[in-house]
Amino acid sequence: MDPIVATIWLIRILFLGLLYLFLFGVVRVLMRDLRAAAREPVTALGRLIVVASEVEEPALGTVFPLDAVATLGRDVNNTIVVDDGFASTEHAVLSFRGRAWYLEDLDSTNGTYLNGAPIDGLASAAFGDEIQVGRVRFRLERAGT
Amino acid sequence: MTGGRGPASAATPIGRGVVRLGLVLLVAFAILAGGAGYWQVVRSADLVGRPDDPLLIAAARNVVRGEIRDRDGHVLATSKRDKNREPYRVYPSMAVAPVIGYASRQFGTAGLERAYDAQLSGIRAADPVDELLSKFATDRYRPQDLTLSLSLDLQKEAVRLLGKDRGAVVMLDPRNGEVLALASTPTYDAGAIASPDADTAKAAFATVVADRDKPLLDRAIQGRYVPGSVFKIVTSIAALGSGAITPDTRFTRQPQAEKNGLLVSGFRIRDGHHPFTGSRALDYPEAVEVSCNIYFALAGLATGGENLADWAAKLGFGGPIPFDLPTASSQVTNGGGTFGGGFADDVELANAAYGQAETLATPLQMALVAATVADRGTLMKPRLVTRLSNKDGATDVGPAVWREVMSPEIAAEINAAMVRAVEGDEGRLFTPGAKVPGVLTAGKTGTAQLDGSARPHSWFIGFAPADDPQVAIAVLVESGGSGASRASPIAGRLMARYLDTVAK
Amino acid sequence: MTAANFVPTGIGIGPIRPRFRRRELGLLILVGIALTAGSVSLGTTRALLADGTLVVQAADPVRLAIFLGALGVAHLAQVLAGRRTDQVLLPAVAMLGGLGLLLMERLPQDQAGSAFGDSLGLAGVQLLWLLIATGVISVLAIVVRSDTWLRRYKYTWAAAGIVLLLLTFVLGEESNGALLTIRVGPFSGQPTELLKVILVVFLAGYLSEFRPLLIDESTRLGPLRLPPVPYLLPMVAMWAIAFGIVVIQRDLGAALLFFAVFLALVYVATARISYVVIGLILLVLGGFAAYRLFPHVAIRVDIWLDPFADPSGNGYQVIQALIAFARGGLLGTGLGAGLPMVGGTLPIPAIHTDFPLAALGEELGLIGVLAILGLYLVIIERGLRIAAAAADDFRALLAAGLALVVGVQAFIIAAGNLKLIPLTGITLPFISYGGSSLLANALVVGLLLALSDRGVEAPPPPRRSRSRLDRLLHRSAA
Repeated sequence: MDPIVATIWLIRILFLGLLYLFLFGVVRVLMRDLRAAAREPVTALGRLIVVASEVEEPALGTVFPLDAVATLGRDVNNTIVVDDGFASTEHAVLSFRGRAWYLEDLDSTNGTYLNGAPIDGLASAAFGDEIQVGRVRFRLERAGT
Repeated sequence: MTGGRGPASAATPIGRGVVRLGLVLLVAFAILAGGAGYWQVVRSADLVGRPDDPLLIAAARNVVRGEIRDRDGHVLATSKRDKNREPYRVYPSMAVAPVIGYASRQFGTAGLERAYDAQLSGIRAADPVDELLSKFATDRYRPQDLTLSLSLDLQKEAVRLLGKDRGAVVMLDPRNGEVLALASTPTYDAGAIASPDADTAKAAFATVVADRDKPLLDRAIQGRYVPGSVFKIVTSIAALGSGAITPDTRFTRQPQAEKNGLLVSGFRIRDGHHPFTGSRALDYPEAVEVSCNIYFALAGLATGGENLADWAAKLGFGGPIPFDLPTASSQVTNGGGTFGGGFADDVELANAAYGQAETLATPLQMALVAATVADRGTLMKPRLVTRLSNKDGATDVGPAVWREVMSPEIAAEINAAMVRAVEGDEGRLFTPGAKVPGVLTAGKTGTAQLDGSARPHSWFIGFAPADDPQVAIAVLVESGGSGASRASPIAGRLMARYLDTVAK
Repeated sequence: MTAANFVPTGIGIGPIRPRFRRRELGLLILVGIALTAGSVSLGTTRALLADGTLVVQAADPVRLAIFLGALGVAHLAQVLAGRRTDQVLLPAVAMLGGLGLLLMERLPQDQAGSAFGDSLGLAGVQLLWLLIATGVISVLAIVVRSDTWLRRYKYTWAAAGIVLLLLTFVLGEESNGALLTIRVGPFSGQPTELLKVILVVFLAGYLSEFRPLLIDESTRLGPLRLPPVPYLLPMVAMWAIAFGIVVIQRDLGAALLFFAVFLALVYVATARISYVVIGLILLVLGGFAAYRLFPHVAIRVDIWLDPFADPSGNGYQVIQALIAFARGGLLGTGLGAGLPMVGGTLPIPAIHTDFPLAALGEELGLIGVLAILGLYLVIIERGLRIAAAAADDFRALLAAGLALVVGVQAFIIAAGNLKLIPLTGITLPFISYGGSSLLANALVVGLLLALSDRGVEAPPPPRRSRSRLDRLLHRSAA
């Protein structure tokens, strides 16, 4: 084969090969990303993210995947432990019933706040709402995927 | 309860819709990939090398196209350069214009210049590996020269003999399918159409397009004509080949029918009375010799529509003939009829058997019929280009058998009958001038009756020498009168010239 | 002290601290190597065709270096900004942009057709716009930390969009039979490119607010369950606007793009297939009416159905594009070796805007086309992932819509090039020549990057419009 032709062929094929090397690299990143997403509990109906906290537990940025019923309070038996003097032992319940989220205040001392307003017994909540228990503020969000 | 929150947004997560959307887009892009694969791989070969492929157009402007030469090395097409050093095409002889066509800057290509555009401009190299390499070669185009089997001398003579008439001559070597002459009149000035001067080219093209005699129509391969009696050879092949008749077959109804007409399903087929033989039933060679329509109508009916159509199809009827140039399809019937072989009824069949009714044939097709008889039943593939060559080497296009049509014995019977049609005591009266002096000649005339009072087309097909055929011919002269008066002498002169010059 | 008085601190933006982006860096390095190889392929082929000698050289090392340098700066800026934004989008877009730059480098330079074009050439202008686009992407990805400016003013955006559209109707200059370009002094642009971004922003805002009402099924039409009639009006309005674009602006591509994006977003928001069905019926009816009424639509459709009917007239460009694809075959002719010129001009006049895929298809082959399609799929995947992970409906719809705009636009023009649908004059995102297209798509990518950061300021609590039931209850209570 003519060396000139061979050289040009080589460069051409190299270019196409590098295009695919790049695509391969991208796909590897995407797969890793998807696997990481898959590791997150798929059963979670939603999640609570700590958007403000003045105590150590839970810390700012902590994410709690949510099942159908999650209790919040100072007691260690709660689904989400709020280790704050301003929180009652059994402070509130966040539950998913039928088609909606409901937040219920369990007669706590300092009350439970939904978007800055205290709730009176039961209130319906939605994604994006902010829930405050003690000095900790959560945001209700949809689960990862 | 304050705020009146609708719970619905929590109920139907958007995620599901997003996933489905992703799937739809994935499918859409898969379809795009399929489309790209279709055009780039499946259809790639069809599209590349199309006459409007810009690669070819670019080549046409900048590449010096290969030369086209006849079998003796006479130049039929070559290139010169204009004042801008851009090449243009020159055609030394107008006689070959319908075959060679033209390659014009303004009006594209025609004829062999079109059919072999890729090879002449060098885009499609002789072998695929070479084609791959040529993409990066410094001279990207490697034009190939074409050598034709055509004889410029015979072609010029054919055009001269056709004179002012519209007509066509096809001559070929029955042994190998090489086309020796492929004349169509009137011809035209291809050189003017390819002229580098835009105005000259435009005027020449306009003249040719406006000409009522349609010089751009290559009558030899594209013209479809009622064949008349020359079609009797096709009927002979079908009747003898299928065993419907033997050379000894006589039809007792025939003499009477010549007087009163032949009654087929209540329809009367008439024929002129043959003064020498009219009173007795003819056998097959006699029927050919005097060209008895009634005999062939009866033979056609005996053969049956299906057999006639099948044997004609073996000879190439019913579809384009594989050739270097595009050919028109010849036909025995319009088809669609229920009688067998597509005939409407036995009246049509009886008329078709002697070349009337809906029968249409190109001169090339009829030349192949003669060549098949000459070549003892073997039909060679007709070809014009015998060699493609450039400085890298040459490719020869060898002879190829297209079809084995009939047995040598049957071919010999038809050969003998066709000899009688030219050399027999009565036959020679119908075919004056067809005989090649000193050579046993075979042939058949045809006088194709047209609707109304138009002068009939004059046909002749034949070959010579009949005992060792070297050339087969078909001559057609539009509205040339009887086959005897116009076509036969042309055929005799051309075959004689071939045997005197080219064959020696 | 009650919890209600509690003032949160440290929400959203933390202290800015550099965060390394290993994946983005790795992918960008690959982009650099691949584009360099492409440039060498082009340069070497070109030298060989010019004087027949083998000189292994890049086509235009300076422009390539400037582009790669800009990508490096953009990466560095992202690192210093320390946000957790997506690391794949920028490299994927950079690869497409780089391919476009190589293509512009390869085409005759005199097609630029603008005031700067004559001095800079096709590749020079494209490089300039690529740099600006990279800047826009970086700035948006770093600066945008809140989406209120988008979600709060959706009607303002809609109004701006309509004004832009009307301006095009009135002031638009005709190019290729369509009113696409607005010219102000030396600057000219194609407003529909910007309009598509505005459309997505508006739709995301509108749909996220009225989602519950759109899902409400109170009207039945045969087997179709429809939402209350008033909420169908935007759909009809959208259809009318698309039809108006076809009729007045003669821009089939933009109309198709807008309508497809609209339908897809409505589907994502409502999960109601009935909307899509109604939309498709409207599309077919509108398309059929346009075909019968407007010759410019009919011609496009007829060309699509059989371009070979008029190979040297109307069907010319489409056939030439198909021949280009066909010449490319599996591996292509190689950059610089395809696209034969006839009499000093390319067979496809609009190759740099409308047919870049055909050009790349010829020179890079089916392999190259598949890689390009793959790159678009990657961008779509990233956009949809960002949508799926978004904190609320608005962001999800916005991200999905932005991904759609790129994906659908790429599909429409690629399918047009490949004769799968009638050809329309829209650009191939990131590859086609032209500032408007590059800038608009840079906006899209920049917003997607900003949205991909999970540390973005929290969305405001939903302000829900009341459902009719609620209003009824309230009225009875009052």
